[in-house]
Amino acid sequence: MTIAAEARPADAVASAPAPFFAARDVHAYYGESYIVQGVDFEVREKEIVALLGRNGAGKTSTLRTIARAAQPSLKSGEIWLGGMPLHRMSTHEAARAGVQLVPEDRRIIPGLTVEQNLIVAQVAERPGWPLAQIYEHFPRLAERRRQDAITMSGGEQQMLAVARALARDLKLLLLDEPYEGLAPTIVREIESILQEVKRIGITTIIVEQNAIAALQLADRAVILDMGTVAYQGPAQEVLDNADLRHQYLAI
Amino acid sequence: MTINSIFLMVLTGLQLGAIYALIALGLTLIFGTLGVVNFAHGALYLIAAYCAVFAAQSLGFGLAIVLVPIILFIFGIAMERGLIRFFYQRPHTDQILVTFGIAIVVEEVLKWMFGANNIPFALPSWGAGQVLFYGLGANVPAAIPGIRVPMPFLEGFAFFPAWRLLLIIVTAVTIFALFALLQFTRFGLVLRAGMRDPEMLRFLGVNVTIRFSILFGIGAMIAGIAGVFGGPVTQVSPTVGMALLVPSFLVVVIGGMGSMLGALVAALLLGMASSFTTGFAAAVGDPTAKMALTALQQIVVYLVAVVVLLIRPRGLFGKKGIFE
Ligand SMILES: Nc1ncnc2c1ncn2[C@@H]1O[C@H](COP(=O)(O)OP(=O)(O)OP(=O)(O)O)[C@@H](O)[C@H]1O
Ligand SMILES: [Mg+2]
Repeated sequence: MTIAAEARPADAVASAPAPFFAARDVHAYYGESYIVQGVDFEVREKEIVALLGRNGAGKTSTLRTIARAAQPSLKSGEIWLGGMPLHRMSTHEAARAGVQLVPEDRRIIPGLTVEQNLIVAQVAERPGWPLAQIYEHFPRLAERRRQDAITMSGGEQQMLAVARALARDLKLLLLDEPYEGLAPTIVREIESILQEVKRIGITTIIVEQNAIAALQLADRAVILDMGTVAYQGPAQEVLDNADLRHQYLAI
Repeated sequence: MTINSIFLMVLTGLQLGAIYALIALGLTLIFGTLGVVNFAHGALYLIAAYCAVFAAQSLGFGLAIVLVPIILFIFGIAMERGLIRFFYQRPHTDQILVTFGIAIVVEEVLKWMFGANNIPFALPSWGAGQVLFYGLGANVPAAIPGIRVPMPFLEGFAFFPAWRLLLIIVTAVTIFALFALLQFTRFGLVLRAGMRDPEMLRFLGVNVTIRFSILFGIGAMIAGIAGVFGGPVTQVSPTVGMALLVPSFLVVVIGGMGSMLGALVAALLLGMASSFTTGFAAAVGDPTAKMALTALQQIVVYLVAVVVLLIRPRGLFGKKGIFE
C-alpha cells in the first residue's frame, strides 16, 4: 500500500495491466486421469464469460480447479485473481480470497433451514451481503427462511445457491449449470437474477448446457474441447457463427 | 421383588448406561462427523482414568475433574492431527486397524508402567457416602448421615452410592451440554453442515479441518469426563478400556451408526438389561432359574444387540447408506 510499492519498476515496465482473473496453462488430474490439459484464459473485471463445450469437455473440472477443490488436483499452472495466487491456496483459502463456486446440483445443505444455509456462508472471513439485503433481493427466500432448504423446489434452491454466494464478499462467481433441470419459466426467473448480478458488476464465469442462454448473458465466450481452450472470442460471434457452434457445441 | 429393589435396579441401570453413553457418544460423534471408527476410544478412557488417579492423589480430586478432560481434549487433537487424519480417505478396515493398534499400544504401555492389576482409585471424602431415598411416612433414624431425597413411592428407605448418582448426573449434564453445543451454537451449526457436505463448506471459506479436529478433541474430552467420574466405579486397570469399548461399540451399532439419540437410547437399554438381569439373578429363589439368570447376565448385552439388529438391521435410529 506504500507509494514505494506502487512505483516499483517491475510494474512500470509491464506492458499491459495484469488481468483481473487469469488461468495460465492449468493442468489437473482426477487421480491418474488427466482431465484439465493446459487451460489458459483471462477474465476482465466485471466481465461475464460463458465457458462452453460438449459433455465431458472439462467445464466442471475447470471450475472446480479454479475453486481449488481437492479433486481434480492441480498439477501445474497458475491461477490468479485480483493479484492473488489461487494456485497456492487450499479450497477455503481460495473462497476467502473471493472465489465463489455455485456447483452443479446446487449443494444446498440438507437438514439446515434456508437461513442457516445463508448463515453458514457468513461464518468465514469476509461476509458479503447481509441477510436483510439478500432477503430484499430474494423475497421468495425471505418467505421460506425457516423451511428445511432441501425441501424447496429446484428453482428456489438455485436462488438460494446464488444468494449463498452473494452472502460472501466475492470477486469471482463461478456458476455451473444454473439452469439445469429447471422449467422454462423458472429459467427466466434465474436469468433475471443473473442479469442483476451482471448489473451489479460481479465478475462471472458461467458454464451452461443451454449455450444460447449463457451467450446472451455473457460478454465473451471460452470454448473448451478435450480439456483445453479451443476458441475464445466475443459471445456475439459464437451466437452468429453457426459453424463454430456446430463444431464445438453440437448446436 | 419389592418396589425398592426395582428402584435401585433402575438407578444401577442408569449408572451402567451412563458410562456406556459417555463412551458411545464420543464414538458416534467421531464416526458421524469424521466417518472414522475409533477403536482407540476405550484407550482414551483408560488414559483419562490413570491421569485422574494421579491427579487426584497429587492435586486433589477437584483439580483432577477440571484437568483430566482438558488433558484429553489436547491429547485428542494431537491424536487426530498426528495420526487419524491420514486415515479419513482410507477404508473403514484401515481405520479400525490403526485405532485398534493405538488401543493395544496404550494398554501395553500402561501395563508396563503400572502393572496389570487394578490400581486403587479412592473416592474423595465428599463423594464417598450414600444417598438415602425415603418413601411416604418412612421412619428414618436421625443418626443416618448424608443426603436425603424423598421418593414417595418407596416403602421405607433405600440407599444408593452418592458417587454413582453423581456419575448419572454428570453424564446427563455432559449430554445436554453436547446437545446444546451442536444444536444451538454457530459452531454446532457449522459442524452439522460440515458433516453433511464438508466440501461445500470449504467452498464457502470454512476451515472444516480445524473444526473437525476440535470435534475429535471434544470426543476425547467426553472420554476424559467418563474416565474421571467412571474410574472409581469401573476400576482402573489396563484391560478396562477394551472391556468398556466392546459394549459401547455395541451401543453405537444398536443405536444406529452415527446417531447420537440412538446411542443414548441404546446405552440406557443395555444398562437396564444388564442391571435387571443381575437384580433378578440375585432376587430369584429357585436355584435353576438363578443359574440361568447368572449365565444370562454375561451375555444379555449381546442378546439385546442380536434381537435389535435382527429386527432393525441398521439399528434403532440408523440411516440408510451409513457404513454400508
Ligand atoms: N471424479 C472424477 N474422477 C475421474 N474422472 C472424472 C471425474 N469427474 C469427471 N471426470 C471426467 O472428466 C471429464 C470432464 O468432466 P467434466 O465434468 O469436467 O465435464 P463437463 O464439461 O462439465 O461435462 P458436462 O457437460 O457433462 O457437465 C469427463 O471425461 C469425466 O468423465
Ligand atoms: Mg459439468
